[in-house]
Amino acid sequence: MNERPNILFINTDQHSWDAISAYGNPYLRTPNIDELHRNGTSFRKSFCTDPVCAAARSSWATGLYTSETGVPFNGGYLHPEIPDLGQLLNAGGYRAFHCGKWHVPGRNVRESFQTLYYGKTDIGAGGAAYYDSASTHAVADFLTNYDSDEPFYLQIGYVDPHDVCEYLHNHEEKRIPNPLEQGTVSEDDLPPLSENFDYDERETVLHRVCRRVDDALIHAAILKGVRNWDELHWRYLRWNYYRFIEKVDAEIGRVLALLRETSLHHNTLIIFSADHGEACGSHQMFQKFTLYEESVRVPFIVACLGDGISIEKDRFDETHFVSGVDLFPTVCDYAGIDVPERIQGVSVRPLAEAKDVPWRDYAYIESNYWGRAIVTEEYKYVTEYKPKAVEDFSPPGPDAEQLGLSQLFDRHDDPGETKNLAEDAAYSEGVNACRNKLLAQEAQLHRQQIVHPSPKRVISNWGERLRAYWEHGR
Amino acid sequence: MNNSNPLHWSFDYNYGAQNPQFAQELIRILRGYDPEVGTHGTQKVQAATHVYDILPNYWRGYSRGGVREELRIGTAIIERSKNGDNLWSYSVQYENTTSGENLEIKFRCSDEDYRPLTGTWSVDARNSGDDTYSRLSCEGYLTLDSEVRLRINDTEISAGTVDTSVKLTCNWAFFDVIPALAQTIRASGDGIDLAVLEDLEQLRRKSRLGFLESIQTPLPLDGYYLYGTGLLPSYWWLDAHGDIAIASTFFETLVLREKMGDRR
Repeated sequence: MNERPNILFINTDQHSWDAISAYGNPYLRTPNIDELHRNGTSFRKSFCTDPVCAAARSSWATGLYTSETGVPFNGGYLHPEIPDLGQLLNAGGYRAFHCGKWHVPGRNVRESFQTLYYGKTDIGAGGAAYYDSASTHAVADFLTNYDSDEPFYLQIGYVDPHDVCEYLHNHEEKRIPNPLEQGTVSEDDLPPLSENFDYDERETVLHRVCRRVDDALIHAAILKGVRNWDELHWRYLRWNYYRFIEKVDAEIGRVLALLRETSLHHNTLIIFSADHGEACGSHQMFQKFTLYEESVRVPFIVACLGDGISIEKDRFDETHFVSGVDLFPTVCDYAGIDVPERIQGVSVRPLAEAKDVPWRDYAYIESNYWGRAIVTEEYKYVTEYKPKAVEDFSPPGPDAEQLGLSQLFDRHDDPGETKNLAEDAAYSEGVNACRNKLLAQEAQLHRQQIVHPSPKRVISNWGERLRAYWEHGR
Repeated sequence: MNNSNPLHWSFDYNYGAQNPQFAQELIRILRGYDPEVGTHGTQKVQAATHVYDILPNYWRGYSRGGVREELRIGTAIIERSKNGDNLWSYSVQYENTTSGENLEIKFRCSDEDYRPLTGTWSVDARNSGDDTYSRLSCEGYLTLDSEVRLRINDTEISAGTVDTSVKLTCNWAFFDVIPALAQTIRASGDGIDLAVLEDLEQLRRKSRLGFLESIQTPLPLDGYYLYGTGLLPSYWWLDAHGDIAIASTFFETLVLREKMGDRR
């Protein structure tokens, strides 16, 4: 047996933290992710670094926040000099493999990993219906043939439940009857409307311009379509979303079954997480790109199906704030590889071993280049940077003078984030504390100017729209 | 055939950036298929082949921005014949140019309307992508305890256990199950329950097949739906000749291009 463990990083896409049956969600069945939980520690305060695929994945690959990676949205480009996990593992005596979705623009996955499968047409944002089963085939082939003394690292990027985006796109230009009108699913089968379906409209300008206004910067066509939805349509969205998760859970099940039967499970560390979540009707919102909980909070499980790795099993860690930047150092820690000095993440290994170690007391999240959030035990604080008068393409912050509108939610009294307390004088202390935490975190970041023309165009265009909203309210 | 739009919502993807246009392609394919070649009414087919073109719905990830001459991104060929042992033998070839996954699926079913799986089956997956994975063979069987077992490269795993109160069939047999059970499904009200072994690998224990509605555009069709645990709804449209002319999921649409078969 290898002294160093094999490491399997299974990731799903757009998978909210609570969409797992072992976590008490009664509207879906995920027996295989449940098995991971039973064989590991589930970090309940786990947050992505940025609620969109490419950005969040750039953090997985580098251990950095997205204003540092060059990928602050899907159209970014990873700064070329930043080392990625595959490069480090290969140099450190591991065989680093990739299978499935990668979606870190600017970095050729085939140059950093041995790719088991990356599509006939390279896998982009979506397409689980075609790619996920082929990915499982590739992994099955790999696991049943692996014969090497060297330990492996294998990251499997499943696309589902991201295909819920295709479900949503299908509503852009046609009215699809609600399930009762269709006569398919009965009302009893449907999950209820999200408790936080209604929301406080005092949102940031960035959020309004990106997601709310008629000509929203992101998915305006879907927004137009869902405005014709009734309550049953929103409930049916949730129903469908959970079916996508059940599909990917079944794929994971086959991988876990093969891992057991090949006896690799004894010495294989499994990390399970998702790049970001899905709003699924909360705040009358769909998809991601927002700093609300459903969009930014994700599962993060560290598990081993055998006894070869010391992990506290069948346990919820409700205490520690875990971030997408922590994946990189965690993998390196188990692999016995030193991490680059500049990375922001911290290994969760001691936490998985239930050791008492100093730990951060917040999660820091970025969104859509200008958006920022801090999550503490008490509050969620969301804010934004105003676009610069003259854009220099250096990601903003820390700059208290340039902060725009804010939201503050009491995480205990209002977990659904439905009442913005930012303007309430009684909460000024909380706002200040969160803002100071945000600025202090940002002072530790190593931002680099965006130089690739494609993301520069996005920043210019979006910045122009944001400036117009700030100036004219539209 | 009525060429007017709109198509039924379950297979209406004639918008967005699909080029060539979806409706135009769907109608062109259906027009090329000659229903008189196949079987009529209640007569039972003893050997038949159906060929379906696969069209992408909204999703455009297959194209990567390139210009394509046709919308078709794959083909499914379903061959089956009834053997001397009174079992149906199925052979399905599924080619997907986007994933690169080409499946050859072989299975046998009892001669019942539900087409319950029997004996052993096999899936031979070949992938034309540029990466390490190129081929995987999988064999399967149902144990006496109704457990689905899969053997992959000499490693055997369980794919779950079927509830004995429902029949286990394969999604590729639906092209015969729905025509055979059409009246039963319509008479049932809420639909009928069955278990599906999707692509002979993923067990969907609780699935329901129900009647949707009848339409006249682009041709007279009766619609049926399938949904269940781990399954996104799919819609199956049966034509007057007893053939599934269109099968659509949220993601892709199979359109009947050709059929060949004996009529008994």
